Amino acid sequence: MEHHLLFQPDDWTPLAWILGAPLFGAFFNGVFGKRLGKNAVRTMAVAVMAVSFAAALYTFLQLHEFRHGLEAAMGAAASHGGVKEGAELTEPTRFTWLAWKWLSMPSADGGGRLGIDAKFMVDELSGVMMLVVTGVGFLIHVYSTSYMAKDPSYHRFFAYLNLFIFAMLVLILGANMPLLFVGWEGVGLCSYLLIGFWFDKEANAAAGRKAFIANRIGDVGMLGGMFLLAYYAGALDWTGITHGSQGLLQPITLYQAADPAKSITVSAATLTGLALLLGCTGKSAQIPLYVWLPDAMAGPTPVSALIHAATMVTSGLYLIARLNVVFTFSPFAMAVVASVGAATALFAATIGLVQNDIKKVLAYSTVSQLGYMFLGVGTGAFAMGFFHVFTHAFFKAALFLGSGSVIHAMHARIHDDVKSQDMRLMGGLKKYMPWTYFSMGAATLAIAGMPLFSGFFSKDGILFHAYANRVVHPFKHTAEHIVELCKTNPKMPACGAAEQQLAAYWEAPRWLGPTLFTVGVIAAALTAFYMFRLMFMTFWGEFKGWKVDSAAPLALDPFANEEPLVDEPEAHEAHAHGEQAHDEEHGHEEHGHHHEDLATPAAPPAEAPWTMALPVAILAVFAVFAGFLYAEPLRIEPLGHWLDPVFHHVNMVSVHLKEGAEQLEKPLMVPGVLAFLIGSGIAYLWYVKGEGKTPAELAAAWPRLHRAALNKWYVDELYDATIIEGTDALADGAALMDTWVVDGILAKLTSAIASGLGAVLRAFQNGVVHVYAAGIAIGALGLFVFFGRPHADVATTKAGEQFTIEATPGLGYEYKWDLGDGKADQQYTTGEAALKRSITVKQDETKKVKLTVKNAFGREVVREVQIRNPKPAPTSSALGLPGAPGGQ
Amino acid sequence: MNAIPIPAFLVVAAILFGIGAVGFLVRRNVLVALMSIELMLNAVNVTFVAFNRLHADAHVGQLFAFFNIAVAAAEAAVGLAIVLSFFRLRRTVRSDAGDLLKN
Repeated sequence: MEHHLLFQPDDWTPLAWILGAPLFGAFFNGVFGKRLGKNAVRTMAVAVMAVSFAAALYTFLQLHEFRHGLEAAMGAAASHGGVKEGAELTEPTRFTWLAWKWLSMPSADGGGRLGIDAKFMVDELSGVMMLVVTGVGFLIHVYSTSYMAKDPSYHRFFAYLNLFIFAMLVLILGANMPLLFVGWEGVGLCSYLLIGFWFDKEANAAAGRKAFIANRIGDVGMLGGMFLLAYYAGALDWTGITHGSQGLLQPITLYQAADPAKSITVSAATLTGLALLLGCTGKSAQIPLYVWLPDAMAGPTPVSALIHAATMVTSGLYLIARLNVVFTFSPFAMAVVASVGAATALFAATIGLVQNDIKKVLAYSTVSQLGYMFLGVGTGAFAMGFFHVFTHAFFKAALFLGSGSVIHAMHARIHDDVKSQDMRLMGGLKKYMPWTYFSMGAATLAIAGMPLFSGFFSKDGILFHAYANRVVHPFKHTAEHIVELCKTNPKMPACGAAEQQLAAYWEAPRWLGPTLFTVGVIAAALTAFYMFRLMFMTFWGEFKGWKVDSAAPLALDPFANEEPLVDEPEAHEAHAHGEQAHDEEHGHEEHGHHHEDLATPAAPPAEAPWTMALPVAILAVFAVFAGFLYAEPLRIEPLGHWLDPVFHHVNMVSVHLKEGAEQLEKPLMVPGVLAFLIGSGIAYLWYVKGEGKTPAELAAAWPRLHRAALNKWYVDELYDATIIEGTDALADGAALMDTWVVDGILAKLTSAIASGLGAVLRAFQNGVVHVYAAGIAIGALGLFVFFGRPHADVATTKAGEQFTIEATPGLGYEYKWDLGDGKADQQYTTGEAALKRSITVKQDETKKVKLTVKNAFGREVVREVQIRNPKPAPTSSALGLPGAPGGQ
Repeated sequence: MNAIPIPAFLVVAAILFGIGAVGFLVRRNVLVALMSIELMLNAVNVTFVAFNRLHADAHVGQLFAFFNIAVAAAEAAVGLAIVLSFFRLRRTVRSDAGDLLKN
């Protein structure tokens, strides 16, 4: 089979273009952007995204064609062999590109090498993700050119945004775990930089730090998971992990730190899965690390759309989908993933019900939708969970960008960051912003689960699989099979072992699926409610933004609601035109010029320019129709078929539909549709018909409940009181340790010794010449005394039984030897010959040598040396000690 | 002719050196200290000349004595220059005033 590809599948250089273009844009805008001006920055930022998207599209189409060829070849082979079915790929189709060899280290078993390369890979999964990132990224870049037009840090914004795209692409396209981690940290960095983009406001900088720290906590899990993978699977690249994943079934025994006698045994896959899940909860804003995402709305709205809704926050999902084999090896880890997802979906939705800040509603909605995705992959519906990533990218990006247009329009009237995001001050905007209204309306229908819209197919698919899927241990069927055989043939070997193992394989309890389904349906109803509440408060009714006093404090406390947010006309004399708050959309230069009298109706809120309205509209179109890429109930499943090879193994081995669940597919759609109808219906009744009276009454009826929901169930306060306080306490303890032990004992004691010694020695360095001279004189005297005496030092060398004794020479020395052989010197001798004597000493013998030295002053000194020749000591190897080098 | 024995010269030289050394150590006047140094140098010169008698042909000791005298002259010139600038600085020639490096 011939494939006419321009590039080789194992050297797919267009990946360099996809990755390189945003990196170049980031460099260019970051370094030269300020000097070259906004036009150059705008052109460069959008152009590199266009290049990247074009290369990604080309790669995707080529991959599609290549895979089509493979399938055709397999189909031909299968039909040739007389088998009709079986033209199904079991392995993902891959294009790879090796940038350079990065590093290589010994593998855990010591046998081979564990190579880590800067290698990039695009397959079915990363191909779709890559298209979403570059495509949605391109649209959001276009949108941002207008949205940020008046910001003085225009170049900085686009440098960060381009850098983010690059890091995100590294994350997606990296062919191994460490490279993914590089991208993972890269997007974290860009997220931090962009959340705190207007860092001169303390709250924004704090939000950036919060995001950064929450992600660092998750990274502990990521690193731990990576270590476990490297150790147990013996590889860190995707194919290697898949092939070595059997190693993850090994048991690990965990001992309690408090009581080492107590221990539990888990499989390595469970531990790896839970560790990686911690990392994913950080990046993808799940319980318990979701708290950073709502605060991240402090960043510019396009950033919220791109990073904190469409792309970066889904990378946790991508990781789980990518490592589907690892996760499905542990049904327990899968159940935890699903439970975390369902809990987050419900929890975040309840907070979203009562928020008044339009971006906060969308932020909690994002957290909630990410929960759905986790629910999907956690129940083994990897393709469906990933499909929700895909659809969510469109409708949530459209919603965020639309809300950005709304805020933009509001800001032109109110000139206050906080109030221009408050939905209580909006209303009736559909008259003024029809494009935005229709785009956001379509996206709302999609997210709320209107039948045939994209969110309906992805969300209901997830809910169905949450109910119907069951994840089993990969060896469970084998064990069951053996046990079955044993019933007929009890003499078979390994019967007992198989039964034992079968009992040890954990499987989620039967009630878990229906529970997750119910939680998901409730959350779906809440989603429909808060999304329609957002739409009705923003676009329907009367516009309330005519008479807003931007100087008056905005009451976020619901009990201050009695004080009117909309002022009486006469209060407007006090309108503070010198409002110094940082102007989100307009930068600094516009401050203080707004003097229109808000008491009289001024220019109405205006539709956004086409560069902003068009991207939203395009995204909305996708939000409506993207569902038909994977409409499971209608059996239109091109995306599911496309992704199948990635999850083929898992679908064959671990994930199964419960018995009889096929018939439940249609009935189980009913609760989802009902949830949509109930949620949107209540929102219509309360906010359009009832003009918001019922919610106010409910809030008054249960003030504590309302206040708690408004304050995000006090989770931030809980974290403050426990983790942050605990960290502070630890830091205080460490500070005490530092003050008293390190500074007190170590540093002060050392310095006291040094300074005491210095004080003594300083007395001698007094600068008085006489003292120095006295020192010289004393030293000279000492030398004189020392050398006035003769010194009889000897050194003995041995050669067999022959010993040589050598005296140290000295000026004017004379020597007299007595070797104990009766021939002692009678006279002193000098010269070379006088220095050395030789003597023979037999084994086990001792001899005495006497040396008399006389110096020029006539003083004498006598030195006696005993020379022994002991038996040779036994060598270490003779004693049987190990470790003699070269011994073995 | 009865030559004076060499040890006699050595004893004189030792006495001279001792006077010089003690003088240098105990007197605070820089000029006196310089003179003490001259005394010690001259004691060495006497020793050189005395030992020269042992190797009379070579005249090495006498040559060394001449070099020493030249060095002493140079040392005196430098030393007096230092004393002059020291006096200008501190209006005294007492050596214990020369502790500017301290602190």
